[in-house]
Amino acid sequence: MAPTKIDITINDKKITVLEDSMLIKAVIGAGIALPTLCYHKDLTPNGTCRLCMCEIEIKGKRRLVTACNYPVRQEMTVWTNSERVQKHRKVLAQMYLGRWPNVPVIQDVARRCGVTDGSAFASDLTDPNPKACILCGHCVKACDEFIQERILDFAGRGILRHLTMPFGESDPHCIGCTSCAHVCPTGAIQIIDDTNHPVDPDLIRKHGMKVNAEMATLDKNQCCMREVGTANIVEVMDRYDLLPVHNYKFGQHPDTYKVDSQVLRKKYFTQNNPDGCWFGCSMSCAKAVDGFELKTGPYKGHRVTVDGPEYETVGACTNMGCFDPDFIVEFNFYCDTYGIDIISAGTGMAFVMECFEAGVITTADTGGLELKFGACAEVLECLHQMSRGEGFGVEVGQGVRFLKEKWIREGRGDARFIRDIGMEVKGLEYSEYVPKESLAQQAGYAMAVKGPQHDEAWLIFMDMVNNQIPSFEDKAEALYYFPLWRTWFGLHGLCKIVWNDVAPADNKKYAPQLAAKIPEHVDNYFKFYEGMTGEKLDEEKMLAQSARVHNLQRLMSVLFGFGTRAGDTPPYRSLGPVTEEEYLSRAERYDGQLQSVLGLDPAKMTLDEKRAALRAHRESQYQKVMDAAYARRGWSQDGIPTKARLRELGIDLPELLALAAD
Amino acid sequence: MIRVNDLHDVPWREGMTVQDVLDHLKYTYALITVSIGGDVIEPEHYADTPVPDGCAMTVFHLAHGG
Amino acid sequence: MTSPISMNQLETISAGVHAEQARYRGMLMVCNGTGCVAAKGFEIKKILNDRLAEHGLQDQWLVVGTGCNGFCAVGPIVVVQPEGIFYQKLREKDVETLVVEHLVGGKPVEKLMHRNPVTGAINPKMEDIPFFTKQQLVALRNKGLIDPENLDHYIARGGYTALRRVITENQPEDVIAEITRSGLRGRGGGGFPAGVKWASGRKAMEKRGCEIYVVCNADEGDPGAFMDRSIIESDPYAVIEGMTIGAFAVGASEGFIYIRKEYPLALVRLNRALDAARAAGLLGDRIFGTDFSFDIRIHRGAGAFVCGESSALMASMAGRAGEPRAKYVHNVEYGFRDKPTVLNNVETWANVPPILEKGAKWFAGMGTGDVKDNPWNGSSGTKVFSLVGKVRNTGLVEVPMGITLREIIEDVGGGVPDGRTFKAVQTGGPSGGCIPASHLDMPVDFDSLTGLGSMMGSGGMIVMDDRTCMVDVARYFVDFLVDESCGKCTPCREGLYALSRILRRICDGNGVEGDLDMLEAICDTVRETSLCQLGGSAPNPVLSTLKFFRDEYEAHIREKRCPAGVCKPLISYRILEPACTGCGACVKPCPTAAITGERKKTHVIDAQKCIRCGICFEVCKFHAVEVK
Repeated sequence: MAPTKIDITINDKKITVLEDSMLIKAVIGAGIALPTLCYHKDLTPNGTCRLCMCEIEIKGKRRLVTACNYPVRQEMTVWTNSERVQKHRKVLAQMYLGRWPNVPVIQDVARRCGVTDGSAFASDLTDPNPKACILCGHCVKACDEFIQERILDFAGRGILRHLTMPFGESDPHCIGCTSCAHVCPTGAIQIIDDTNHPVDPDLIRKHGMKVNAEMATLDKNQCCMREVGTANIVEVMDRYDLLPVHNYKFGQHPDTYKVDSQVLRKKYFTQNNPDGCWFGCSMSCAKAVDGFELKTGPYKGHRVTVDGPEYETVGACTNMGCFDPDFIVEFNFYCDTYGIDIISAGTGMAFVMECFEAGVITTADTGGLELKFGACAEVLECLHQMSRGEGFGVEVGQGVRFLKEKWIREGRGDARFIRDIGMEVKGLEYSEYVPKESLAQQAGYAMAVKGPQHDEAWLIFMDMVNNQIPSFEDKAEALYYFPLWRTWFGLHGLCKIVWNDVAPADNKKYAPQLAAKIPEHVDNYFKFYEGMTGEKLDEEKMLAQSARVHNLQRLMSVLFGFGTRAGDTPPYRSLGPVTEEEYLSRAERYDGQLQSVLGLDPAKMTLDEKRAALRAHRESQYQKVMDAAYARRGWSQDGIPTKARLRELGIDLPELLALAAD
Repeated sequence: MIRVNDLHDVPWREGMTVQDVLDHLKYTYALITVSIGGDVIEPEHYADTPVPDGCAMTVFHLAHGG
Repeated sequence: MTSPISMNQLETISAGVHAEQARYRGMLMVCNGTGCVAAKGFEIKKILNDRLAEHGLQDQWLVVGTGCNGFCAVGPIVVVQPEGIFYQKLREKDVETLVVEHLVGGKPVEKLMHRNPVTGAINPKMEDIPFFTKQQLVALRNKGLIDPENLDHYIARGGYTALRRVITENQPEDVIAEITRSGLRGRGGGGFPAGVKWASGRKAMEKRGCEIYVVCNADEGDPGAFMDRSIIESDPYAVIEGMTIGAFAVGASEGFIYIRKEYPLALVRLNRALDAARAAGLLGDRIFGTDFSFDIRIHRGAGAFVCGESSALMASMAGRAGEPRAKYVHNVEYGFRDKPTVLNNVETWANVPPILEKGAKWFAGMGTGDVKDNPWNGSSGTKVFSLVGKVRNTGLVEVPMGITLREIIEDVGGGVPDGRTFKAVQTGGPSGGCIPASHLDMPVDFDSLTGLGSMMGSGGMIVMDDRTCMVDVARYFVDFLVDESCGKCTPCREGLYALSRILRRICDGNGVEGDLDMLEAICDTVRETSLCQLGGSAPNPVLSTLKFFRDEYEAHIREKRCPAGVCKPLISYRILEPACTGCGACVKPCPTAAITGERKKTHVIDAQKCIRCGICFEVCKFHAVEVK
């Protein structure tokens, strides 16, 4: 629904504002300055200094309101500097000046209100300190809204109000993020120590605060990371046909609403605090469920705290066709408790389920477990077996590659089918996005050094939705830049989430290719590096730093026998529809491609012919994107870093050169 | 006809707004940037910005996965 | 009561209670409100039971501990029903007399009865006492008549028939409309029409498709006010039933009562009443077996005056510091837990069941204005006041809206005692205004009081006599508010402190020309720019005394004189020669031994030693001590 617009008049100037926007935004937008001592653009308004008071008239009735927290809801006339307003501002300014005569921001604001003398309000409480705390509340709000710690607050009633930590002691929970000092307008809060001795702490702080402010002000209208964490994209992925369902056959499901982030938020999440995985992180994407009663396994009947679920947890479960949120939380708990990776467990189980439904295996193999899609209870039983080292669980626990090879070796079913649907590359199970319709992402997954995990590149939207990297060269460029960029902040112990799970309000000003990189956020990371080390960083330098490591990692992969063209080749399920059912579920899209890209007439083709034609096309496309990406990375056509590339990067050590291509 | 992201053709009709196009394509993601002929349209104007027939519209989704 | 009661059981229960009571010759209603309890009300009840047993009368007379009777000035009180014989100021030893002479001997005990303070005539029955005659009881309809902890007693007085009718016969919208038509306005001080508030809450709930809460504000913090406490102590089910009806009307399933921790007796009774209502199925799931479910939880406040402000109260309930927020967006839209919240005070909720039982028209028939089409157009119903200060009959009174201040103070209150004259009455708690004698014929309703620069507030009424210094009064209340201001916004925090300093210096004789202008300027800014109504109304005591008693301020500043003889630095005590009999009564109590003199000869006060405590003035029976 479109927000309602309201016309208001400010000092005779007509302005249109959105309903419920704060009056101060309109006033500032009209180019009018208001005196204030408690308003901060990145914090929710306090409305305590009362200096921004304006006189408004609605339907003939006049009143005074504070512009900072007055939501505009109807047409009105506003005077920002009427006689009545001026009179009160003068008195308020005198009050401030009487109490804190030497604080520069007060002197400045008072002067703007036409006051230079506050002696009428001088008292025993007058504080001559030019850096006195003036009770503006910025620090309290920053502690709450920027980093959600709520350690600073006011104590004492009335005139005794003062800033403190709990019980007047230095609180050990303070993580030393220094947000409070940064927003303090008087310098009342001082930072004593920077423990790890950065070269330029202010530079780090300045950019950290930008992130904080974005989290506090933008996240609630963007991804809601603070509220629901990464689970916010469960419903997004479903809507864009990217949520893995039934071992990546499909990208959406009518039951997704049962497990989306709103369900988790309303019925499950109880913890919303920073978990400290990244010191001072204001995003606090980690969520937890408290008091969850387990229904199965060794802790049956216990009430436990579960760390999660996040997006991949839910995706792993929808991939198994399980849309019961209680199951998801229980699966999450036991995977964590057993030390089993949720993604591998979910993707592995989804493969087993499809094989079971296709008759590749039967209850004779599974020890009686009916492992069909959606079989929540059976999945948990199999998971418990895995942990005990018993029964069918032992086999499933060894992963998709093991199962594939075993079942093909044993001559069960169609070997090609088993290879096509076993979603692993280099022995690692796929993480939970459907890459089928995005060529760039197919490569992003399969070419990743450790296997198909998207922490090198997630290019689905850029490629499939935005169509911003249409050519092979464009895709190759993305497959060059993003893996290096992501490797870089991984190397520095920095998290990826504040790079792209919140975006600056004006990121739109960049053209899509640049916007996708979120230049301002990349710059934040560069400044963190510079503030810490004293060395300036730019994109070129960053890529060079990262490429040394990335190529080294690739050579190690070569050493272990994975880092080759064959090792970068994904199962066909990752590239296109394996089964008839799968083709038919997106027949319009696939038929269209046959027609527009290959010039075929699908109406004259059988389903088998169409599938074969599409497969041939997609497999050849994939080969081409690998060619382009290898070339851009300076690797041979077998996917091995060349000696020239190693020399260029300054890592031409004899041991490495021995592994490199010519 | 409106061309979106040089990928989809959306049938044009009289009075069509940016919001109508987004609804048609089910583009509901939070971090999107809409532009027509290079001009960025702010979210508050989706519902009252008309889309001219034959125009090229880009709907840029900012997302890099988990 | 341990099992849920069904709808048609109300009459059976009621009949049972009446039959049980009919087995006795009569009932002895012992006031067990906090005031009487402090004066040994519990002991009186116990002794009464003991004596009855000794005389073998325990099966003939039923002793019932009730909530506050209202006439606190004369507690402890026992009323003998059905005749209504009113015994006052009972001491433990009086109980035996009462039992022997009245219950055994059949002769009511005159010396324990109330006497007209002027004529000395005896008023044997409660209904004869002027304190009670002008009262009209709605919110306090059950006071003194039931055991507040006994649900059956409440039902026997017609309790829960309103809820039953509402649930079975009405749509929520009908209930809201009925309350709106009744003209019921918020008794907590704001005077906002309850029906309008409920309708807004329901609308917000429907629009947002979320939960809605009902809240009862029992955080009565005004010095000298005890209306809400007394209602809860005497009739907790009235509040619970009122809230349950409100919850049905607005669509709530959860309710909260925010009650201050300083009200232990009210809290105990409330908890017992909630437990009993739950056990009877009148709270909890499927009330009366219908689809409507509702329960109430108690939140105990820590005793901050500002928590009586609704947004501060909700902040406190949510575990945050009790500080108000700007209410440009109302609580009915975003209140507790950011959900729509309908908050009314204790008295408002207690008015709800009788309105639905007897109809909006009946309620609108009391009070002022014609409210049937517009609840703003008058003040319907009654209002409970706690009448305190320099008035004979201190206590809890409920009078129809529109009654004059004079009727309350002179007729109900019995006027100013000790031969002093009336000077002012302060209404509306610490941030109300002081109204002088010239306005005593002003009708008491929301709009008239506001027009006079005071307010209804929650119903505190403090009477002052000619020995009250109005500057000192203003200083006292401003100091109270300095302590109770939360300190969040600048004008209230800094402005009140500045007012306090100026008032103190005027009282100390250090006032200067210009102080009154300064006071007015600060008051103006505090009133107009404060974040909440605590600050917005805080200047009232200063502004109203400046308006009506400006000459007193001027005497302090220009003549360094306190006309009422209160401000110590400005007064001196002197013993007048002809009047002093030399009795010596003042010598011993004087804490600084400043008074000397031979017996039967005029005494003298040493001005150097005198600390102006005024004890000599109080003890002198011959009006020989003069204060100037």
